[in-house]
Amino acid sequence: MHAVKATNKRMSKEQWLAYGLLIPTLLIFALFMFWPFVYTIYLSFFDWNMVKPTKEFVGFQNYIDVLSDPNTYKVFGNTFLYIVLLLIINCSIPYVFAFILDLVLKRYKNFYKGAMFLPSVISLVVGSILFTWILNPVSGPVAIILDWFGVEMPIWSKMDGWVIVVLSLITSWKVFGYNFIVLYASINGISREIIEAAKLDRVPLWKIFFHIVLPMSGATGIYVLIITIVQGLQYVFTPIKVITQGGPNYASANAIYHAYHEAFVLYRTGHSAALSILTMAIFITLLILEFKFVERGVHYEN
Amino acid sequence: MKTSRFKSIPWHIVFMVTIVILIFPIIFAIGMSFKPLEDAYNNTINFLPIHPTLENYLTFFDSMDVLKITSNTFIIASVVTFFKVITSFLAAYAFVFLEFKGKNTLYFLLISMIFIPFSITMIPNYLVISDLGLSDSIWGVILPQLADAVGIFLLRQSMKTIPTSLIEVARLDNLGHARIMKDIVLPLVKPAITSTGIWFFILSWNEYVWPVLILKTVDNYTLPLALQMYISSEGGTNFTVAMAVAVITMIIPLTLYLMFQKYIIGTFTSSGIK
Repeated sequence: MHAVKATNKRMSKEQWLAYGLLIPTLLIFALFMFWPFVYTIYLSFFDWNMVKPTKEFVGFQNYIDVLSDPNTYKVFGNTFLYIVLLLIINCSIPYVFAFILDLVLKRYKNFYKGAMFLPSVISLVVGSILFTWILNPVSGPVAIILDWFGVEMPIWSKMDGWVIVVLSLITSWKVFGYNFIVLYASINGISREIIEAAKLDRVPLWKIFFHIVLPMSGATGIYVLIITIVQGLQYVFTPIKVITQGGPNYASANAIYHAYHEAFVLYRTGHSAALSILTMAIFITLLILEFKFVERGVHYEN
Repeated sequence: MKTSRFKSIPWHIVFMVTIVILIFPIIFAIGMSFKPLEDAYNNTINFLPIHPTLENYLTFFDSMDVLKITSNTFIIASVVTFFKVITSFLAAYAFVFLEFKGKNTLYFLLISMIFIPFSITMIPNYLVISDLGLSDSIWGVILPQLADAVGIFLLRQSMKTIPTSLIEVARLDNLGHARIMKDIVLPLVKPAITSTGIWFFILSWNEYVWPVLILKTVDNYTLPLALQMYISSEGGTNFTVAMAVAVITMIIPLTLYLMFQKYIIGTFTSSGIK
């Protein structure tokens, strides 16, 4: 009995200490994450422009406006295209690369890791400006080399489709190495015995990848998958804002940029908030996935 | 053991080509930034400065208060990093070594914030910062960033590797949590703190989205914002100056990376999701 009481007492003291240690974090999160989240939901039901002294309650009108605007569908289509492209370039390819580096390549491992990760430490604004010049359709080096082969470089910043491809490539330049390193760590952590046994049994490389490595690094795989989707939404904001401002005619805008544009260029906070909430709805679905697969699937040593 | 039946040469070529593509833009920018404009503009293929000049850098220094802009960037990155590391360390300690009600829910809630799109918080945060009179001030950029879920995650992962028996023994010796934190946990997770700190510094140095909403006057800008003034989809005429600004913007993160490469890569290889 005494022991139980003592533990309880210690527990409660420990609890207070824990909350104390968490207060700085919780304060910042409450003020700049949780509260804004609630406030954005609130704003999505009002007509406002950030300066008017009063906000006018309009019910679901903002959602109706946003959902009846053809540009919204264009922008969500673009968002989807960005995500698909980044999943291919930044999730599938790094996965294969990480696998090859771990299993096939014996030399220059550290060099490859270091060099691939390098662009991840550079600002995407720098990336945007460098590629704007390198991929300049008239005088850039890529255009000149293509010209040698008689291929004309498309004026990508003015063309539907192309503009998304190029902005995705610029974003990939920055995040490729990060995803590669995270995936490599996970594959490298897989027990060697299984892989060596498979190698001895002369199991083909692709089978080792699909039947051993993919399932055993699955938790990280899903983490990178979700991070890539976040990047597909979030990271592309910078090249869009810096290079095209969403143009031509919304052809390169994604959901986040569109929400920014509505709020800080057109001053329609209601539309912007409604758009963000809709984007969030997609996100919550992903979070549930994350909780189901990543957190549950994670195996901690302790 | 020999694994020569998996042909490695083609893969080495694939890796080398990828690395050339990834590194080329950096070399290109450095080379172009030392070229006279006409020289660079007429021949973008040859990025080697044959007649090297500093005029592009000087033009940038003439057009803006570069020292002020660089120090803004430095102050923001340092203050943000300092506080993020402290708040993350304290929170991670609570999550790993203490028992309290709602622990898992709270952890999940904090971590899920990593996945909240920026657009959800931008309007309210902009309004709060304006109400506090901090718009167009570097403190307005700093304030919302004093805590970070990624930091909690990385330091928690690192603390989880400390054997619980070590802490239990210390508890039996009647060591308080303050002592355990300072004398046992802190030294053991120091490498993780260093690498997380460097990573935060680099991220903050490069940050664009939030500062661009808050900072209005050029004197209050950070380097990425100053650089952005030199971009248009057509490229504009300040090509070589833009390259010089790009070089100045990336020099600090690149140097930090080259110095602490092992640490930084280590953060993501040892304490990544298992």
